[in-house]
Amino acid sequence: MLETYKKQYLYPKVQFVVITKNGKVAESDDSLFPLRRGTDITGFHPFFESILPLTDRAGEHLSYSCVHIKDRICDVDCRTFKDKDPLIVIHDLTEHYQSLQTVAQKRNETVIETEVLTLQNTYLQEKEAFKRTFIANFSHEIRNPLTGVFSFTEMLEKTQLSDEQYDLVEIIKSLCQDLNIMINDILDLSKIEVGKFFINNEIFDFNALLESINFIYSTKARQKNLQFHIHRDENIPQYIEGDRNRIKQVLANIIENAIKFTDKGQVALYVRLNNKRANKINIQFEVTDTGIGIAKEDIDDIFTSFTQVHKDSKYPGTGLGLAIVKNLVNLMEGDISAGSEPGKGTSIRFNLRLKFPLHHKPRQIKNQEEEGNILFNNRNKYNVLLIEDNKISQIIVLKILASQGSFFLDIAENGSQALDRIEETRYDLILMDIRLPDVTGYELATVIRNTPEKKYAGTPIIALSGSMMGDGKKKYKKAGISDILQKPFKEQQLLKKLKKFLK
Amino acid sequence: MTVSKKIVLLGHFGVGKTSLVRRFVENTFSDNYKVTIGVHILKKEVILPENQVNLIIWDIEGNEDISATRSSYLMGSHGFIYVFDTTRRSTFEHLEHDLDHLRNHYNNVPVTVVGNKNDLITPAHLRENRPLFKRADFFTSARTGKNVELIFEDVTKKMMS
Repeated sequence: MLETYKKQYLYPKVQFVVITKNGKVAESDDSLFPLRRGTDITGFHPFFESILPLTDRAGEHLSYSCVHIKDRICDVDCRTFKDKDPLIVIHDLTEHYQSLQTVAQKRNETVIETEVLTLQNTYLQEKEAFKRTFIANFSHEIRNPLTGVFSFTEMLEKTQLSDEQYDLVEIIKSLCQDLNIMINDILDLSKIEVGKFFINNEIFDFNALLESINFIYSTKARQKNLQFHIHRDENIPQYIEGDRNRIKQVLANIIENAIKFTDKGQVALYVRLNNKRANKINIQFEVTDTGIGIAKEDIDDIFTSFTQVHKDSKYPGTGLGLAIVKNLVNLMEGDISAGSEPGKGTSIRFNLRLKFPLHHKPRQIKNQEEEGNILFNNRNKYNVLLIEDNKISQIIVLKILASQGSFFLDIAENGSQALDRIEETRYDLILMDIRLPDVTGYELATVIRNTPEKKYAGTPIIALSGSMMGDGKKKYKKAGISDILQKPFKEQQLLKKLKKFLK
Repeated sequence: MTVSKKIVLLGHFGVGKTSLVRRFVENTFSDNYKVTIGVHILKKEVILPENQVNLIIWDIEGNEDISATRSSYLMGSHGFIYVFDTTRRSTFEHLEHDLDHLRNHYNNVPVTVVGNKNDLITPAHLRENRPLFKRADFFTSARTGKNVELIFEDVTKKMMS
């Protein structure tokens, strides 16, 4: 009985072959492969050509698993003897190995797919990083001509103009401001995304901030026949420690948006005290409007870059405002959320964890001259060196300084010329572009500070920068730069900086 | 003079060992990945100026751990082609260790190291992994056929020298 089964199931799956020392088939039962007696087994399949040299020594047992021979998958045993020809036993295990193949295929494909996805993700991140750097650099380059347009428009405004010309100049100025806001948004977002955006905490007058917000947005709301109100908890301290400019930027973005999307009714800002412990304070801000609202399915998209939920040309914009807001709030360790009902209005709420000084003495109120327009007394004359390669920027600074009659201005177009000038002349102040053709402003400032006899150790150096991409205050202070003025700057901004250092 | 030499392709699974062999022997390529289990053995003649060499090419199943490769497959080898996938870090991050293993156990067997799927990587990726890639003798693409002939020629020359 057993022999019957063996004949049926075992023998057809096993082939015995005896070969001579030089690889000729001596005997074969041909159960799996037909091997003619006397033929060279190495010619049947290269596997046998590989193992033949290993059959030289007697008493060997070579065992190979899972060898593909023709259309079968086999285990092969080869035994060598002292006084007999080598024996090759071939076991056909095709079915068994094919089932293993399915499992291995699935496992390997999963592993490979995961690794390929990781690589693709890395490529995407590289691409994104390149895009962000490109956008940041491009925006920076736009600033130089924009500074020119802005400054010359201001100069043009001061000439004798007809009413119509004056109106046109005002439009140009307004468009420049819009463009500048957009560039600042793109730069801010780039800086946030590459982790080069810094929060500068300082003590500031929170009441003054809210008053300024109230003044600006009441005026803007009135232009659209809207009402704007601020509701503020009285027990919030007057002085807060945080990044005043960024808090203002966040509020400005949200309120601007609220006004933009509201055609009637009101926009309100609620400022509530969440809690206050020791010198820590948690403030909740909420901006509500009675505007067009946002559909439920779109609400999560409003904080995404370049996304505009309302695509109507009636509401222009870059779609960056609220993305920046969300990033800024997160950088200030706060949370932000939005709620809305189409046709009824939107509410955007965020909270900030801030500090407040337990004892704070406010600075003396600045004198009128500092608050208002800056004017230099032309009895005092100052020697100023401008290090700037951009011709337009040179003319702008020249015109602004010339208008005061208090300055002698020398211009150097690069670092090397600048070093010649400071050797020849003693300057009261140096204005310096950060990106010069032969050297960076940071490097040049360090050299100037370390000139022999420390001639310029105490001379104010003001850097003019198109972007502060990754250049924190620490970096320019370390280089010995006294202050920085970001392009595009207005006449008064430059004069204020000069006044600060030339008292 | 005609001689027969056994070469074995080593490396992780999915690095393209089978594709390189198919490109070399049959001049074909398929995007469909079919896992190799066990070993496929193919043969191709390489003609060098002084010799004609019958390469018996053992295309074995990939293994993440070279020491776990069935020793019977490597027995009697005259040359190794170690293949890694340039797009998958896991296939080359232990390259040095794997080559040490070969040196320790098959000291006299020459090895040609190949970074495959070179058509899929960016210059930035190449730069980033330069320290790990420096051991590669060739970068190949079984898809395009780039350098495929060269690696077999290289290992053959090494075996014959």
